[in-house]
Amino acid sequence: MKGKLATLYQKDGTKKILASLVSILIGLLVGAFVVIIVGLFNSRISLKGAWEGVRLIFFGIFSTGRDASGALTWGFNPTSLGNTLFRAMPLIMTGLSVAVAFKTGLFNIGAPGQYLFGTMASLMVALSLPTEKMGAVPVWIIAFLAGVLAGALWGAIPGAMKAFLNINEVLACIMTNWIAANIVTWAFDISNFKNVAESTKTGYVYKTTFNGVATAKLGLDKLFPGSQVNAGILVAILAAIGMYVLINKTTLGYQLKACGSNRHAARYAGIKDKRNIVLSMAIAGALSGGGAALYWLSGNTEFFWSTYQSLPAIGFNGIPVALLAVNNPIAVIFTGIFMSMLNVIGLQMSNLTAYNEYLTDIIVAVIVYLSAFALVIRMIFESRKKKAPAAEKKAKENEEPPKPDAAQNGKGGEQA
Amino acid sequence: MENAPEYVIEMLHITKVFPGIIANDDITLQLRRGEIHALLGENGAGKSTLMSVLFGLYQPEAGEIRKNGVKVEINNPNDATALNIGMVHQHFKLVDVFTVLDNIILGAETTNKLGFLQKKEARRKIEALSEKYGLTVDLDAKVEDITVGMQQRVEILKMLYRDNEILIFDEPTAVLTPQEIDALMATMKEFSKEGKSILFISHKLNEIMAVADRVSVLRKGKYIGTVNTKDTNKQELSNMMVGRPVQLEVHKTPAKPGEEILKVEHLCVPSHLHKRNAVNDVSFSVRAGEILCIAGIDGNGQTELIHGLTGLDKASSGTVTLCGKDISSASIHKRGEAMSHIPEDRHKHGLVLDFTLEQNMVLQRFDEPQFQKAGFIRNDEVRDYAEKLIEQYDVRSGQGPVTIARSMSGGNQQKAIIAREIDRDKPLIVAVQPTRGLDVGAIEYIHSQLVAERDKGKAVLLVSLELDEVMSLSDRILVLYEGEIVGEFDPKAVTVQELGLYMAGAKRAGEGGETK
Repeated sequence: MKGKLATLYQKDGTKKILASLVSILIGLLVGAFVVIIVGLFNSRISLKGAWEGVRLIFFGIFSTGRDASGALTWGFNPTSLGNTLFRAMPLIMTGLSVAVAFKTGLFNIGAPGQYLFGTMASLMVALSLPTEKMGAVPVWIIAFLAGVLAGALWGAIPGAMKAFLNINEVLACIMTNWIAANIVTWAFDISNFKNVAESTKTGYVYKTTFNGVATAKLGLDKLFPGSQVNAGILVAILAAIGMYVLINKTTLGYQLKACGSNRHAARYAGIKDKRNIVLSMAIAGALSGGGAALYWLSGNTEFFWSTYQSLPAIGFNGIPVALLAVNNPIAVIFTGIFMSMLNVIGLQMSNLTAYNEYLTDIIVAVIVYLSAFALVIRMIFESRKKKAPAAEKKAKENEEPPKPDAAQNGKGGEQA
Repeated sequence: MENAPEYVIEMLHITKVFPGIIANDDITLQLRRGEIHALLGENGAGKSTLMSVLFGLYQPEAGEIRKNGVKVEINNPNDATALNIGMVHQHFKLVDVFTVLDNIILGAETTNKLGFLQKKEARRKIEALSEKYGLTVDLDAKVEDITVGMQQRVEILKMLYRDNEILIFDEPTAVLTPQEIDALMATMKEFSKEGKSILFISHKLNEIMAVADRVSVLRKGKYIGTVNTKDTNKQELSNMMVGRPVQLEVHKTPAKPGEEILKVEHLCVPSHLHKRNAVNDVSFSVRAGEILCIAGIDGNGQTELIHGLTGLDKASSGTVTLCGKDISSASIHKRGEAMSHIPEDRHKHGLVLDFTLEQNMVLQRFDEPQFQKAGFIRNDEVRDYAEKLIEQYDVRSGQGPVTIARSMSGGNQQKAIIAREIDRDKPLIVAVQPTRGLDVGAIEYIHSQLVAERDKGKAVLLVSLELDEVMSLSDRILVLYEGEIVGEFDPKAVTVQELGLYMAGAKRAGEGGETK
């Protein structure tokens, strides 16, 4: 049994997961620490209140409010869970966007711009097609595809600049982000999609429900009553599985990875390196655009169109989601859900305590730093592992010659 | 150990284990003061690992290291430096964007009380050293701008600057031109005269015989023996190294050239370095069943010529005809349909180092029906195919098909490429320096494979910088000088000296030199 555990511990995947879990744990601990510090220096928060804050940081997703005596109550909270899934939906998509690009050797920091383009295209299509003639579902599908396409187009631009002009994709992405922010603002500003029906809401675009378009619930609202969750989360999960298959099982994924890890060797082998770099970024963009479409086509979301001074955080948050998942598309599902859970916990804290929701942003920030740090943590695990068999061997040395098994045990360690 | 102080460094019963492989198995190496001690072995024999243990990069599982008879612990390169051990690595450890001076003092900077660098003093010391040993370097040039030979001199100066007494050279000649090798040999002898002790890792027998006092031989991680160079010869050493009698000469029957496979007419390829053409108006043809060798000193257009032929670079003019089809502007993929290419730079072009061995084995072929179905890679087929090649071509690695290419030894990486390219079974094989940096056993193997392919009726275009290889392997020789063909020779009717004159540009066909 102990042997089995040891082999599990030495697997590369286990180490990756452990490293990410350690980053998460440290992030939560730092969050708890901040909660205590804030509690101590804030006259409105008692020691008991601080303790409640700490418990919420760790278990907030299971908080169900307060009972009559004012004590926190715990249990299955379908609303929180459903909202977590709802917020995870675009995060998973932008996380995938970054992860897939990483896998192919590109750093897609352009997810916010691709997300904005996806937003614009899907909203405009959803609001302008005649639902009564075409039916809501076809319109939804066309609008979703429009978002995907627009994102792909916007991602392909830095990809093409990288492939043909050798311009670093990070620079190109940052610039296309701001170009997207301005184009989107301008396009909505001159359009008639601004919500003039409600006088307080001219800063927003109409909800897609104005045109009868909303993502199907597929019974998820019954499972998680009172939450915003819809079938979009299933689309996101399918996208993740699809990406996993694409990257690991297909010839296209093989080509993309080859170009990503060694463009020269790929070219030597007759693989079209330029096409693949553009394609890689287009796929990344399509995922971000798709994430935007899922979020804004939900029916309960309103887009604040004057966005030229800010980029959507969901785009950037794809980076920690991908890093924490070590760029594994399947793991992105879980890290995306985890990140959105923190968001929901933040809301719980501001609802139930005197803390405000931005506290969880600190946790996210710490995890972002640590997820870049995950590599270091992994190295610590690795060096521990290296020393362990060495010591083991020394102990055996006097009794018997080294078994070939001893060498086999260390499999996977020396790869990188 | 008759009397301890005789040995300046002793490595006793060193064992180092890596996943799946015992790199060093109970190896003992004793270095006398002031000697040049060669460490000979095939790729993967454990030479570099042993030296990395001495330099503190790896910790051995068993064994001990003594200096002047006293046991020492070397846990990292700093410990090694403190014991006056210096190492020139096979792949240099230099900061490309730093100047030569900055690289030399890096890690051993002298500063004044305020912490400011005292470069003037360092410069004086280095200038004195470089004059004393004839190690010319430009202290203010950036490392990325200087030649490989000069980079190596920088590495040597680094050791001298640190007053190292024990100098390790890990395959120092692999990247050097013949002239640079001669200069390095002279420098090493100079060092040993002054009482510095040198460990010289190599698998080039000529160099070992020329410069070393004693040789220790390793094979597959095991210690085979130590001999005095004056009591041995090349054949004996290579037998010790490989473990069986080795053919140092290539045996082949006369070529039976058949139809023309490759025809190059008036090919010009622009240079990346200057405005002129790197390949200028070159015409030749390769026929089935012959090995045509392009000889020349490095940098005379060989790389560009091959890039122009294989499509890695665009030719500016001229035509290339392969198997009767004009491929002058065809894609690399298209050209690959009738051409195998063993590239010059195995890390840059030959392999995706972060891929597994099996993934690398299908680098060009992943799209063929054998390995994919409806766009999905057939992993079982790839695995079977890789296992077949690994067995057939004796590619050794820690974990077989799933070994990451990066973790394999250079020789086995090259064997993997050769296995892949030969097994693609194309009418033309373009082999660029296929044996560079390889040991005798691997060279023998690769040579015999190329001859066997020739005998099967393949056309082989070989580019080589090693005159020995050119003379023994080719059926026809073209000499390339400054991007032009300056002569064509029959290897049986020309001497190495004669070829050398053409390669150096001192003679060319039509100017009094005999052609053919």
